[in-house]
Amino acid sequence: MHFTTLILRNLFRRGVRTVLTVVGLSIGIAAVVTLLGIAWGFERSFLAINESKGIDLMVVRAGVSDKLTSNLDESVADSLRKVPGVKDVAGSLMDTVSFEEANLVSVLINGWEPGSLLFHGIRVVKGRTLERGDTKDAMLGSVLATNLGKKVGDELKVAGEPFHVIGIFESESLFENGGLIIPRTQLQKMMGREGNVTGFVVKAQKPDRPFIEEVRKRIEAAVPGVAAVPARDYVQGDIRIRLVKSMAWATSAIALILGSVGVLNTMMMTVFERTTEIGLLRALGWRRKRVLALIIGEAFALGGAGAILGVILGYAGVNVLSRLPASSGFVSSHLPPEVIVVGIVLGMGLSLLGGLYPALRGASLQPTEALRHE
Amino acid sequence: MSNNGAGDVPLLEGKNLTRVYPDGDVQALRGVSLKVGAGESVAITGPSGCGKSTLLSLLGGLDLPTSGEVAFQGVPLKQTDLDAYRASRIGFVFQSFYLLPTLSALENVQVPMFEANWSRSERTARAEGLLREVGLSHRLSQYPSRLSVGERQRVAIARALANEPTLLLADEPTGNLDSVSQAEVLELLARLRRERHLTLVVVTHSPDVAAWADRVIKLRDGKIVDGV
Repeated sequence: MHFTTLILRNLFRRGVRTVLTVVGLSIGIAAVVTLLGIAWGFERSFLAINESKGIDLMVVRAGVSDKLTSNLDESVADSLRKVPGVKDVAGSLMDTVSFEEANLVSVLINGWEPGSLLFHGIRVVKGRTLERGDTKDAMLGSVLATNLGKKVGDELKVAGEPFHVIGIFESESLFENGGLIIPRTQLQKMMGREGNVTGFVVKAQKPDRPFIEEVRKRIEAAVPGVAAVPARDYVQGDIRIRLVKSMAWATSAIALILGSVGVLNTMMMTVFERTTEIGLLRALGWRRKRVLALIIGEAFALGGAGAILGVILGYAGVNVLSRLPASSGFVSSHLPPEVIVVGIVLGMGLSLLGGLYPALRGASLQPTEALRHE
Repeated sequence: MSNNGAGDVPLLEGKNLTRVYPDGDVQALRGVSLKVGAGESVAITGPSGCGKSTLLSLLGGLDLPTSGEVAFQGVPLKQTDLDAYRASRIGFVFQSFYLLPTLSALENVQVPMFEANWSRSERTARAEGLLREVGLSHRLSQYPSRLSVGERQRVAIARALANEPTLLLADEPTGNLDSVSQAEVLELLARLRRERHLTLVVVTHSPDVAAWADRVIKLRDGKIVDGV
C-alpha cells in the first residue's frame, strides 16, 4: 500500500461530501479561469492589433484617462512624420456602435484611411479592402459578419446610415474580427468629429526598445499636448483592460475564498470525525508530521481535483462565451496556458490553506485523549 | 519474574507513577511501581476506573505521568523519542480493534510500517506473512466490515507486530469477543509470545485472561493492591 492510497481511501469514505467540496472549489477555480481567461484574452487581443501591424508607439492626447475619448487634430500627423526616427504614421478614429437587432452592443468601429499602415495584418477573406474614393463602404470582421449574418454585397445600417459591405476580413485581434472598418472621413462625419482622430499609430525606423524610447521622447518634445506610449504599455494601461482585470480578480477572490472555506469545513469535520483514528495512528507510532502529511495530503487531493475540474469548467465556460453572439466579439476560445497554471496553483494553494489548520489540529491531538474520543 | 538478561534491568519498569487529570482533578494513579521482565506475560486487573488503562498508556508512552518515571530497558521514556518507541518497541492491541474501515486486512497491517524504512513491496510481503501467522492468509483483501470480531482482533494483533516489537500492550483484547473467539485469541497470543519471545502486558476484566498470564497485578483506586 502506498501512502497516497490511504489519502484517497479516506476521501472516498465520505464520497458525497468529497464530491461537493470538489465541486464548490471547482466553481471558484472555474470563475478564476473564465474571468482571467477573458481578461487576458482581452489584453492579448489588443496587443495582437499592434503586433500584427508593427506598431511601436501610440500617440494620444496627453492626460486622458480613457484613451478612447482622446481627440487630436488629424494635422498632427504631419508634425509626427517630421520627428526623426519616425517611419510611418496613421491616424485612427475609433468608436463603438450597436446593432440592436442582432443584440450586439459596443461593437468596435474603426475609421481608417485606405492604404494606411493600419491595414497591415488585416487579411481580406472575401470581397476587397477599402480603397481611396470609397465612401459608404464597410469591411466587416469575420465574427461580426457571422453574428450579423451579412456577406459581401449586402447592405448594413451603421448608426442609422446605410453602408455597403465590400469585404470580410480576418485579423489576429478578436476585437477587430468582431468590429468593422469604414473610411475615416465617413466616421468623422457620422460622429461629428470632422478633422479629428482618436490618436495615431507610429512605426519607428528601428524596432528596438531603446530607439523607440528615444523616438517617444522626441515626439513628446516636438508635439505639444500629446502622449506617446509604447504599444504594450498603452494596452496594459488601457482603462478597460485594467477594469476587466480588476473585476476578474475581485470576483475570483470571492469565489476562491468560498471554495477554500469549503475545504476548511470539510477537513475540520474530517479531523473531528476521525479523532479516534488519529489517536490510533499516533499510538501506532506515527509522528505528528506524518499525521500532518495525511491530512494536508487529503486537502491537497481535494484541491487538485477541484483545480482540474475547475479548469475544465472554465475552459468550457470560455468556449461557450466565445460562441455566444453577445460576447463572441471579445471572448476568445483560446485559454492562455498562464491562466490554466494560475487556476491550478490557486486550487492547490487554497486547499493547502484550508487544510493547514485542521491538519495542525489533528497532529497536535494527544493520543490518549484522541483514543478516548467517541 | 524473569529479566531481559542485562543484569537486573527489567524490560519495563514503572517507578512511583502518579497521573492526575487536571480537568476533573481526578487522581487516576497514586504511586504505582512495577517491573516487567523480558518474556513475561503480566495481567493488570481491577474494577472499572481503578487506573488500569491509564497505567497501560503510561507504559506505552501514550501519555506521561504527573510524577514518577517509566523506563524501557533501563532508559527513562522521558529521554526517549516516544514516537519511535511506540513505532518500533511496542505493539498495541485494543478492545475495539481500531481497524481503519477503508483499508483491507492486508492494508491495515501495513499502517504502522510507514514509520519503518521498508519499501512498498517489503511492507506488503511482511503484512502477508503476519496475517498468515495469525491464520488469516485467506482473508487478506477483506475489509473489516466483512470480518468476524475474532478475525478483526487477529488483524489488529498482526498490525501490532508490524514493526517487530519486543513488548505487546493489550487493553481488554478479548473484551468484545465471544468465548470461542476469546479462546482463539488467547491461544494466538500465547503462541506468538512463545515463537517471537514477546513480553505481554494485558489489561483485563476477564478472570480467564488473568489466569492465562504468568503474573497478575491488581489495582484499586490507582494503587497496586496485589501482585507486584
